[in-house]
Amino acid sequence: MMRNKDTYTILTLLLLLPMLLPSAAVAQHCAHEAINPYRVVQRSTLHGVSLLNTLDTYLSGYDHKGAGYHIQHETLRRAHTGSYNWIFQTRTSATLGIATQHNNSQILLMASRCWSGYHPFAIGRHLKILAGAQIKAEGGALYTPAYSNNPVSAKISATVGASVAAIYTFSIGEKEYKARYTMDLPLTGAMFAPEYGQSYYEIFGLGHTKGIIHISSPLNAPSMVHTFSIDIPTKKSTLRIAYTADIFQSDINHLRTHIYNHSFSVGYVRTIYKVKRNDPIEAYSPL
Amino acid sequence: MKNLLYNIIITAAAFVLTTGCVEEESFDNSPQGNLEALWSIIDERYCFLAYAEEQYGLCWDDVLTKYHKQAADAESNAELFDIMGNMLRELRDGHVNLSSEYGMSYYWDWKLDYPINFSDSIQRNYLGKDFRINNGIYYTMLQDSVAYAYVGSFANAFGNSNITAAMMQLAHCKGLILDIRNNGGGMLSAAEQLASHFTTEKIHCGYIQHKTGKGHNDFSKPEPLYLEPGKGARWLKPVVLLTNRGVFSSANHFTMLMRALPQVTVMGDKTGGGSGMPLSSNLPNGWNVRFSACPILDKEKRHTEFGIEPDTAVHISSEDWDKGRDTIIDAACKHILQQAQEQEKNNQHT
Repeated sequence: MMRNKDTYTILTLLLLLPMLLPSAAVAQHCAHEAINPYRVVQRSTLHGVSLLNTLDTYLSGYDHKGAGYHIQHETLRRAHTGSYNWIFQTRTSATLGIATQHNNSQILLMASRCWSGYHPFAIGRHLKILAGAQIKAEGGALYTPAYSNNPVSAKISATVGASVAAIYTFSIGEKEYKARYTMDLPLTGAMFAPEYGQSYYEIFGLGHTKGIIHISSPLNAPSMVHTFSIDIPTKKSTLRIAYTADIFQSDINHLRTHIYNHSFSVGYVRTIYKVKRNDPIEAYSPL
Repeated sequence: MKNLLYNIIITAAAFVLTTGCVEEESFDNSPQGNLEALWSIIDERYCFLAYAEEQYGLCWDDVLTKYHKQAADAESNAELFDIMGNMLRELRDGHVNLSSEYGMSYYWDWKLDYPINFSDSIQRNYLGKDFRINNGIYYTMLQDSVAYAYVGSFANAFGNSNITAAMMQLAHCKGLILDIRNNGGGMLSAAEQLASHFTTEKIHCGYIQHKTGKGHNDFSKPEPLYLEPGKGARWLKPVVLLTNRGVFSSANHFTMLMRALPQVTVMGDKTGGGSGMPLSSNLPNGWNVRFSACPILDKEKRHTEFGIEPDTAVHISSEDWDKGRDTIIDAACKHILQQAQEQEKNNQHT
């Protein structure tokens, strides 16, 4: 049975989503860039440090602060359908960390994978705007070792949302640098949340799973991810330095959660040019 | 292009306007702040406040008034810990504990206010020297082919093969005395696993609920609990389950499960209770609190938080105690022999 809150959520989404629809229509008219039939794949793996702030009222009513290890792998590739260019991104990231409040500690393990599709718009010579949609799957848990009963709070969600990015290319000397800002906004999806006082024994031991999956929206799960990165060319490769603010939040069944994950990471970018059998090879361009 | 960007900006702005930070109202890390935080956790998440009010007139608001002043006057953290521990004792629940560097607060009256009805010294006279131990189960054969098994804890899981092996070794006996006196609990799954070896069919034996909101009466619909047959040997001969006030938590749950079985008679004293499955939380100063969150009800939907009455109440008499005899075990032996005789008579008639 759908609840009043869920109905309200759906109505809000219906109000929000049409704002993107005219964008798609305009995009078709504006897509006059030359068709690039070449597939360029750019892969990066970044390693870094996460600064964490966690709150999960199922476990504790107080913020826990700490640090962790962050890894992020991204693949970007260009594609074209008819006369339209697209950029597809897959991003996998994981964080393992520990956050504390006085003598209490929470161990955090979160992992996510998202698939995004963007339509690029060039604004002048240096700036490119990407607008598109994203599907994201995220899972993990907060574990409190001090609790003898029910020490874990699981986080599982699957969302659909909007993603926008701006890529600015600039030169210093003879080298070309690239700065990129990306914002991912989950708009709706499904999220796991136990009832207010429900134990995991009841859910997983006895199989009382009714009502544990909820429709998520910015009203009950106002999450977002902001990423800022700079690509710095080196002699043989490209170095990427990135800052990611991953804001995971939910307020379902009177259980409030936030996981603020500010990660600073660094790694190398590899660009692979996948040339099809019949393609000429002289024209290609990295993203 | 401009229209597209405009729409994107509007969408992003609409998103940002509908979102915000998810935070929780927190209490000060002061003596009063910590006491209020503890009071609030119990007020919102503890599952027996309405039942305690009904049973012995507990008013949780009055409890705050009573202890708030004491917390304000506390001269040290150790004193504050004692005050807060005393506040939790008002709940009369052995599952509610405050833990910190000063130790753990307990409520023991559910056990200490009653006769002990168990002595491991006297138990030795029955176990003798030939008893076996199999994964926490102590067992032997008493006089007149009556089997005796003692399970003192559910802290560790039993193996189905261990339970089966013990049952096979006692299979020729007329009946089983299953003694869980002073079993303070452990894992519900261990209790359920042992109980599953006493049935060949799925038995409805109780209900479980959980809180759905912060109100004292905000509970989910009671969901039925079933006991499923276990893998391996099943004991279907007469069983007398021995209980005393030291039977608590998952041992109390075990008693509730076994009571639902036709061949089981519960004998001894009322159990200690502790039917609420505990969750934990913490305070601004980092102290942890454990509290009952999910009530488990028997199959008549009655609370078992304050214990389960035996089918046959028996106490160890002082004369027997002095003689080194266990009145409860002796009564259980008689009961099993009586049942065995009745069964024999029935078999002769048929």
